[in-house]
Amino acid sequence: MEFVSPEGLRLDGRRPLEMRQLRAEIGSISKADGSAVFEMGNTKVIAAVYGPREVENKSQQISDKALVRCEYTMANFSTGDRVRKPKGDRRSTEISMVIRQTMESCILLEKFPQSQIDIFVQVLQADGGTRSACINAATLALADAGIPMRDLVTSCSAGYLNSTPLLDLNYVEDSAGGPDVTVGLLPKMDKVTLLQPDVALPEIMQMDSKLPIDIFENVMQLAIEGCKAVAIYIREILLENTKQLEYRRGK
Amino acid sequence: MNAVDHDTCKVVTPGDVLGKASEISPGKGTYVATDAAGVKLVYAALTGSLSLNSPSSPSDKRLVAEVTGHKAHGAVPERDCIVLCRVKKVTPMMASADIMCVGEKALKEKFTGIIRQHDVRATEVDKVYMYASFRAGDIVKAEVVSFIPILLDFLHPLLAITICSFGSGEKMVPISWTEMQCPVTGQIEQRKVAKVEN
Repeated sequence: MEFVSPEGLRLDGRRPLEMRQLRAEIGSISKADGSAVFEMGNTKVIAAVYGPREVENKSQQISDKALVRCEYTMANFSTGDRVRKPKGDRRSTEISMVIRQTMESCILLEKFPQSQIDIFVQVLQADGGTRSACINAATLALADAGIPMRDLVTSCSAGYLNSTPLLDLNYVEDSAGGPDVTVGLLPKMDKVTLLQPDVALPEIMQMDSKLPIDIFENVMQLAIEGCKAVAIYIREILLENTKQLEYRRGK
Repeated sequence: MNAVDHDTCKVVTPGDVLGKASEISPGKGTYVATDAAGVKLVYAALTGSLSLNSPSSPSDKRLVAEVTGHKAHGAVPERDCIVLCRVKKVTPMMASADIMCVGEKALKEKFTGIIRQHDVRATEVDKVYMYASFRAGDIVKAEVVSFIPILLDFLHPLLAITICSFGSGEKMVPISWTEMQCPVTGQIEQRKVAKVEN
């Protein structure tokens, strides 16, 4: 199947190095300490952060830093077919763990010993790149909650189809079976916190060749550039939000 | 980055470099880390306005960089801070209380603190009768001693019961170090009373 036309256009009309449209909104859930809605093209994700608060399960308490809990769920209506098990299935548990580890690396946990920070992310509409959208939404929600962080964590995915590196895959490109990688980056520190390659399905691996290392590096570098672009957008949103709050306060 | 930058309208986001650690001292909402080149820099940890304040101590000539966000994160009780709690349960050996305020900040969600028998007063610690010092529902001002679990103590005379009420619902008035009286019924109850601040 052709994912990149001879003119160089993808299935949705984008160029190979073009990201989908980003849209973000902070403070959607007023009850939560911090919240954000993040959209990457058609993928829409909502994140809510509660904390720091008392640890519910005293046995899990850590004496010198905060405990981070993360829950990733998909709304029943997020995909075309009704999602049978929104949470508790293997994929959700794995993505919850991935998001938790990524956010743990950037929050200054030592400031809140013996407390808990809860991050809830729910996918409202899934069209590929849900992992990345969740990490970006969680970053915005944590910044909204006023929880001190080392840096913003941004995430983007990139793949390789029809011998072309592609940035920010949508669902069709993601399920095409080509190799792809999701990268999480601390943009100002220039440090990669998450590098998750997607293992291609066994049947396709027989037909498709393994990815040579220099092409993989290319794809990874492309994802890193995508992360930096997301970071620029997220910073703009945070600055705009702060200015709005200041106007409302009458400064 | 200028060392003396009094533009308080500058808004920063987490990860922004505020300056070198040798020139600026890290205040609230900032942290220090070493960058790739090995230089110690002060970074912002919150989204908010940056302010450079006068040095905190005379020995340290560096300006203090602070980032104040609009939404502060919820306060967490720390060692040696004064907290306001409501007593939940009283047993002969200990009492448990819900911490509602840390310093002057009210908490959105409660933390649980424990009052042990020998933390109630400084003298004759074994002879403390918990039921004559606290009752469920009393508002108490205490100091956090340790963290696993949160232990509270009352060794300072200003600490202990500040508000308590008896069956009539009226706020009781302290009449001595160990007694409080209801103004409506005249009934006297025993409590560990806090020093009244004038």
